[in-house]
Amino acid sequence: MSYLSILAFALVLFAFVRVLFFTPVEQTMGLVQKVFYFHMSAAWVGMLAFLAAAAFGILYLSRKDLKWDTLTAASVEVGLLFTIICILSGMIWARPIWNTWWTWDPRLTTVTIMAFTYIAFILLRRGVDNPARRARFSAVYAIIGFISVPLTFFSARLLRTIHPVVFGGGETEMNLNAQMVATLFISLAAFTVLYIALLLQRARLMAQQEELNQQMAAVDSDYDWGE
Amino acid sequence: MKAWLHSVRVLVWKDLLQEWRSRDILTSMLAFAVLSLFIFNYALELSPINRSEIAPGIVWVVMVFAGTLGLNRSFTAEQDQGCFEGLIMAVPDLSAIYFAKLLTNLLMMVFLAVLVIPIYSILYNQSLFNWAFFGVLALGAWGYSAAGTLISSMTVQTRMRDLLLPVLLFPLLLPVNMAVVKSCGVLLGSVAGQDINGWLNLLLVYDAVVTMLSIMVFEYVIQE
Repeated sequence: MSYLSILAFALVLFAFVRVLFFTPVEQTMGLVQKVFYFHMSAAWVGMLAFLAAAAFGILYLSRKDLKWDTLTAASVEVGLLFTIICILSGMIWARPIWNTWWTWDPRLTTVTIMAFTYIAFILLRRGVDNPARRARFSAVYAIIGFISVPLTFFSARLLRTIHPVVFGGGETEMNLNAQMVATLFISLAAFTVLYIALLLQRARLMAQQEELNQQMAAVDSDYDWGE
Repeated sequence: MKAWLHSVRVLVWKDLLQEWRSRDILTSMLAFAVLSLFIFNYALELSPINRSEIAPGIVWVVMVFAGTLGLNRSFTAEQDQGCFEGLIMAVPDLSAIYFAKLLTNLLMMVFLAVLVIPIYSILYNQSLFNWAFFGVLALGAWGYSAAGTLISSMTVQTRMRDLLLPVLLFPLLLPVNMAVVKSCGVLLGSVAGQDINGWLNLLLVYDAVVTMLSIMVFEYVIQE
């Protein structure tokens, strides 16, 4: 248990208590609006994780150090987890507000397609056994997958959306008072620290797994099968 | 540059000649495309009214699905015969291999469109002969081939091969799919005249960005 993990746990707990008890209830939507603070934080971490994965991918291709590959894979896994949290929490909010769990709104569709890109990334890794080749393919796919994300979001802007916009969005902009904005930023910070803690833990676990596999292989080949 | 263009031309010619001698891929793609048109007819109960609205969607989906058959085969000959090493040594720059494969896949897709458009027009009694429509399909085919060539060069080296290609490729294609279907809908007059410049820009940007990026990373895919 590292200090960072303890800090992340404390921050998320603090944000959780603040969202529930020290942030005013939104006038028109009521209690369900409180899911928004973690929904947006999860969306932010999802994006950040995929940006980081692409950056780690570029680092791997230029340095050829498997450490960066482990970080790429760990970042995608953590990012996928947060993106799924974002989608599910959005559905919980949409049920009372839009009166449906799901709608084919461009925002929802693009985020889900983004999640599929990174599910494909994990499948790709499972399909390659050679570690160096797996690392090269992962880096290439993380980069090209990340480039397609802004294009996908741009294509969504050409369509009309009913998804609320938090900052600078004209008529669909949300009205948050100062206390709500403070809570939002505390959640964003807490989730960001949580992301870094999870990323490092997952990367360490992956590295240990890899080491274990190598030792098992070494033991296997050393073993004298008799006769 | 001259040597590069020459090797691209030779590689495209090699692939087209190989395909012309067996005609395995194109016949499969065409048969698959025509079968899909029949399946859509039953699955969607196409009445003359709604069929005109979804024509661009059907034509594009048929091309995308049939195209995966070609993409899956794009690198199998090199992989199975072990001549990647030979190719890598023969070309002045590795991007020539990518570019040649892209052009071959694009030509196959355009050829498929040339066959699918009249067949659709006859079967559904709706003329799709429209140069702008064909142009947008070709632009879409470029983006499709640019992303597909890179992905298939990876999947051919994995354990799951054909299984993995659509899973990796289709999420990346969302901008192309939307741009092609939306702008073709306007061009064929099934959707009331909207501005399609935004969609065409998106398509051009996608084609350019994915092609450039693939050229940059391709060497990491094929070189050990």
